[in-house]
Amino acid sequence: MGMNQLSTLEHILITTKVEKVMNWSRATSVWPVTFGLACCAIEMMAAGASRFDFDRFGAGIFRATPRQADLMIIAGTVTYKMAPVIKTLYDQMPEPKWVIAMGSCATAGGPFDSYHTIQGVDKIIPVDVFIPGCPPRPESLIYGFMKLQDKIMTSSLADRYKDIFEEVG
Amino acid sequence: MTEPNLPGSPEVPEAPAGPYVYDYSASPQRQIVMPKTVPLPSLKTYLAEQEAAAVADEAKWQKMLADFEIAKVKAEAEGKDAPKPPVRPVPRKDDNDMKTPWPQEANDADLHRLQERLGDKVEEIFEQAGELTCQVSKDAILEALQLCRDDAALNYEMLADETATHYPVATNFTFSVVYHLTSISRRKRLRLRILIPEGFSPESACAVYPGANWMEREVYDMLGIRFVNHPDMTRILCPEDWEGYPLRKDYPVVGWGQRDIAFREDRGGMIERIALQKAGQLGINHKQPKAE
Repeated sequence: MGMNQLSTLEHILITTKVEKVMNWSRATSVWPVTFGLACCAIEMMAAGASRFDFDRFGAGIFRATPRQADLMIIAGTVTYKMAPVIKTLYDQMPEPKWVIAMGSCATAGGPFDSYHTIQGVDKIIPVDVFIPGCPPRPESLIYGFMKLQDKIMTSSLADRYKDIFEEVG
Repeated sequence: MTEPNLPGSPEVPEAPAGPYVYDYSASPQRQIVMPKTVPLPSLKTYLAEQEAAAVADEAKWQKMLADFEIAKVKAEAEGKDAPKPPVRPVPRKDDNDMKTPWPQEANDADLHRLQERLGDKVEEIFEQAGELTCQVSKDAILEALQLCRDDAALNYEMLADETATHYPVATNFTFSVVYHLTSISRRKRLRLRILIPEGFSPESACAVYPGANWMEREVYDMLGIRFVNHPDMTRILCPEDWEGYPLRKDYPVVGWGQRDIAFREDRGGMIERIALQKAGQLGINHKQPKAE
């Protein structure tokens, strides 16, 4: 009789972890900030438009405020004058948040090995995915975004709040 | 191993004080090398160069003649055949086709009009590749601009561009500030130019051409030339706390800018705003404390 009950429940119940559900929901509804710096932003817009359709991955809703966004795509050259603005925008985003450095400028300064350009946005904010290219095609951005989704899916609540747990003991 | 265009041991300038200090000794390839600059186009300089070249050419010819005389006497003494007399080398005619346009005498009526009205304040007028250039005294630039705009025969309505160039190796000046004027009604262009030393503050063109405002701010930002009587002489492109002037030839392309990123504590001015709010000086909805 017990066996029969279990086989009935299998058709109506799914067992999973809370962490996995949260990761799944986060990875499939990543909302980026409406934020472009240079020519990479054009490719980012192309990725969001109908031909490539970023919305298939749940990331097509470009929010106009960092307070409602999870993802920041650094699409373009980061100058010293823009750096405090980027830092402020990043600080305004709520946790959990992710950053994609798109293109060689945001990754490592690109051709601007010069006095006015930050040699990689990872000098001011933590970066999850680096996408090479000058500029990367929308396919590259989508591939990088899928890598970010993989990262989100493998992330753990314990890892994220590891420091806090260690403090509490 | 020495590179031909670069000086042997470049001078390392003093790094600016403060949090942005770059260690030049750490990477020698990032030391400052003074780039070779294009010489200032000038009719006087061009004529002087031509004269010097002609003198050098004549001296070379005289030396060839003297050598020939010595060789002839030597050949006679030894009983040999006399050597062939030298032939003076003639420059090829098609050499001029390959040259960049050189400064020529001014033929345009506008330049002569400027010289007639301004007199001694005009230092030089010439044409180069069909472009008119008038170099005026550095104290008379506002007067010259006023004349160009208001004179009925000149009538240059628009200041198309204003910029400056750094000439680090020049002896009698450091910067040349150029004003590109356009006459829409007469379809002509004119270039005014002043040469200024380091530390000199020329008169701002904003009084005559209000469009010079941001151009002069850019010149100040990039080269450090401060204009007198400018409404807002602040940086326009670089951040407010920038040190140095990037478009000067002795500014390192890599070096000072490639510094560790360090933000001001009051990033975005929020601390200041909070302090103002606490003091009751900010916020339209903030209630002023009532006097007891």
